Order: sequence, then C-alpha cells, then structure tokens
Amino acid sequence: MQVSVETTSTIGRRLTIQVPAAQVDQAADAQLKKFQGRRMNGFRPGKVPAKVLHSRFGAEARNEAVSEIIRENYVKALSEESLNPAGFPEIEPTVNEPGKDLEFVASIEVYPQIELKGIEGTSIERPKASITDADVDEMIESLRKQAADWSTAERAAAEGDQVKIDFEGFLGDEPFEGGKAEGHELVLGSNSFIPGFEDQLVGASAGDEPTIKVTFPEDYQAEHLAGQEATFKTRVHEVKEQALPEIDAEFTKRFGVESGDLAEFKAEVRKNMERELDTAVENSVKQQVIEALKSANPIEVPKSLIQQEIDALKRQAAQQFGLGEDFDVSQLPNELFEEQGKSRVQVGLLLAEVVSANSLEASDEELRGFGEKIAQQYQQPEQVVEQYLNNEQMKNQLKSAVLENKAVEKLAESANVSDKEMSYQDALAAAQANPAAESEEASESAEAKDEENS
Amino acid sequence: MNQERVFKVLLGPHMTEKAAIAAENNQYVFKVSSDATKLEIKKAVEALFDKKVAGVQVLNVKGKAKRTARGEGFRSGYRKAYVTLAAGETLEDFTGNE
Repeated sequence: MQVSVETTSTIGRRLTIQVPAAQVDQAADAQLKKFQGRRMNGFRPGKVPAKVLHSRFGAEARNEAVSEIIRENYVKALSEESLNPAGFPEIEPTVNEPGKDLEFVASIEVYPQIELKGIEGTSIERPKASITDADVDEMIESLRKQAADWSTAERAAAEGDQVKIDFEGFLGDEPFEGGKAEGHELVLGSNSFIPGFEDQLVGASAGDEPTIKVTFPEDYQAEHLAGQEATFKTRVHEVKEQALPEIDAEFTKRFGVESGDLAEFKAEVRKNMERELDTAVENSVKQQVIEALKSANPIEVPKSLIQQEIDALKRQAAQQFGLGEDFDVSQLPNELFEEQGKSRVQVGLLLAEVVSANSLEASDEELRGFGEKIAQQYQQPEQVVEQYLNNEQMKNQLKSAVLENKAVEKLAESANVSDKEMSYQDALAAAQANPAAESEEASESAEAKDEENS
Repeated sequence: MNQERVFKVLLGPHMTEKAAIAAENNQYVFKVSSDATKLEIKKAVEALFDKKVAGVQVLNVKGKAKRTARGEGFRSGYRKAYVTLAAGETLEDFTGNE
C-alpha cells in the first residue's frame, strides 16, 4: 500500500492510496467463491464452473472486494499517517480495473491542531448584585400576577381587563380573510392586537357592540392589509377583571411552603432568586470567557462537525416548538443554525483543548457535587442525583459539563476579572444578553425553573 | 442476412452444465426459433459475433407433459442449436448475451 497526503486547506487532507493489483484480484476471487453455492438455472447447486461464475458475477464480486479493500486501507492509511479525521471521508476510486493497481482518493477533514492562546489580560466583568427586599417584593408581585384569576366584572372595561369579544373586520364594505373570530379573549393593554384596537375597547361593557376603526401598520405581516384602513364590528360578551390572589397561606402553599408562614415564603423566594442570580453570574462570566477564548483562537472547524451540531440544534428546536418525534428535521433550513453550530463546535474544541492542556480531571465527588447543584431545582434532589450518576450517558454529560466549568474557571483565573456593581435585574439581563453561547445546563436549569413556576 | 432476421433466429444463449462442457470444445449452445435452419443459424452467428462457424447441429426439445387440476397439458418446447466454431475462434462472455 502506498499513501500520499496532500494538504488542501488548513484542515482539509487528500489521501491518495494505491493498493497492488495482486491483492485486489485475490480478494475479488475470494469474494467470487462465495457465489459458488448460489442456485443458477441449468446447473446443479455448487456445480457452476468457475468460468461461468466469473462471467456472471465477476463484476459484482470485484465491487464488493474493492469497497472492502478501500475501507481497510483507508483506516490503515489513517493510522500510518496518524491523522485524526472528523466525520466521514469522501472516497473516489481513480483507477479500478482488473490487473491494475487500485488507486483511490479519500478527502477528509482533520481536527484542527490547536495551539492554544490563553486569554491573559482580557478583562472580564463579573456582575455583582445583592438582592434587596424590594427585589423580593417585586418577584412576589409577579408571582401574584402569574397566579391571577379572571372574574367577571359588571362594569365598563378598563386597561388591564380581559374582554371576551366577537369581531369581524371589513375593508370598506368587504369582510376580509382572517379578520373574524368569536369568543376571543383579549387582555386590554397587552398589545397583542394592532395598535388602537384595544384602546377603543376601553370603556365598553358587556352587551355593547362598538365599531372600531383602525389603520393597519405599514409593516404588517399580511401584505394586502398593511397600511389599509379597516373597520371592525365587535360585540363584547364579558368583561373580566384581574383578581390578584392575596398573599396568604393558601397562596404560599401553591409555591410549596406548607406552613403558610410569610417569612418562610419570603426566605424561600429569596433563596430561589439567589440561586438564579448565582447561575446568572456564572453564566455571564462563562460567556465572556468563552467569547474571549474564541476571539483569541480563531480556528477553522470541520464541516462535518458543524453539520452534526446543526442537526442536534435542529432536533432541539423541533422539540422546543413541539413538532413531535416524527417531524423530519431536515426540513429546517441549515442557514438558521449555521452560525450557532459553528460557534458551538469551536467552543467545544477549544474547551476540550484547555481541558487536556491543563490535564483537568473530574472526580466522582465533583460529579456528585455538581449533580446535586442541578438537582436542587427538582422536587426530589436525591433521586435525581442517583439517576444522573447511575446512567452512564448522563454521567458522561455531567462529566463534560464539570470539565467545561473547570476549564472556564481555569481560564477566568488568567484573565482580569473585575466586579461590576449592578442591580438584580441587570445582572439577570446581562447573563441573557448572549443566548447563542448559552450552555446546555443553563437551558436545562431554565426549564426546571419553568416547571417550578407553573 | 439482415439484422432483423438474426435476432429472430437466435433467441438467446442456453447456459447449462452440459453447455458449459461443450463450450470447452468450442461448441456454443443457443436457443433458436423453431423454424430456423442450420444454414440460417450459421449465418446468424457469423453475423452477430463475427466468428467463423465450422458446423451446426440442431434438435427440438419437447415440452414436458404436466398434469394440473385443470387437466393435462404440455409445456412449450424449443429448438436448440450446437454451433461449432472454426478452430481458433472462441466466444468470450457468452453467458451475458441476449
């Protein structure tokens, strides 16, 4: 076997591999023998002469033998040249004739050789915020709003009320498509309708039939309606007002504080907020570190890895939109995820390099500790931790997350980290500023939180 | 002999164990149409493969008698030709023809 390697780009390699004719022909003959037992009209089984067999199955046997040889020699060539390919090769036979040396070209992309540049001297801002009582109260207020009930009110609708209406829209005298609904529940001031619509319903009470004149905005998504003046005939069935629940024992019970003690409830809320803040601070620092790392090390990454990542992202997206298991993710356009996929691959490779460069390890205790931290957000933390540690796959995920965090920590040590005072809200917002770099466990914890709140 | 008649006369190769042995003696076996004559077959093979033919032997193969629930019947038979090529001529890849 002869191998020659060409470098087509920084990560692209072209392997030209030659295999001696004798070896290929021998393999083809061996393959042909396997056809011996095959039933053929006019012959007793096993009595087909070699010549007949050759003329009937020769080409087929050779194809099989050649693809087998290509596979073997490709792998052998890789280990001889000590290449580390990413994804699958593109293989093209150039000479494939009986009696001649087999020659084929394999184009592959290798993992980039990373010469890691540290992020020394990069300044990173660590958000520093303390949770004030006002923040806690605000949080409780928003919890109340989430838990609000709507109750029928015998009065004219005001801003913030919910009205149940039928409506039908007309352009001039013509009703237009999609402009009709019955029993629609609309919160006034929620700005879910075209501007002006909700304002004109303020003051209407149950049984009224106000006519509403609005102009569709110029940038309205339905083109035939954009900029048009329309009239809506409406009918108000019901006006409901928002009833915020009292902060009492019953309210606190909804959020898992059985005793109904207000102080305890507040402490619980504060604890949750602190946890959220901690995660936010961590994420914010992590994002900055990763950003810095990425800009310090611009690397080219193999397309096949990007494609893998894109596919994973697509599946995730499909899940988020609730498209179901059997939704064909290849329908989603690649371009949507390309940037994100590429940056994730880059980050993954760079962080892996940091991990191996510093020979970081994750011990079982660390895994447990990290698992417990994640599990806090669930109802039965112990069970979740056990589940994580007993499942090989999940354990590996946990491990890579721990290693990733350690790598980030290590990097953060070398950078100039400065504390920056900001309010609780700002700190949370800062962490969400760059969702592209959001790591998996961050989104996981966000999901867990959603469950808790609902 | 025109091309059309060539394909009408020669129906296809007849590849069996016996035919494989015959091929070693430079004899090739064809199914031919039931009205083909030795001379026609000779000319057809010479035209199609561009080889010199030394001689042709023909025979009619009778169809097997078969009984079914619907009564008795015969499978259709066919006419078979052993074509001996002139010394030194061979047919490669005979099996794949027609």
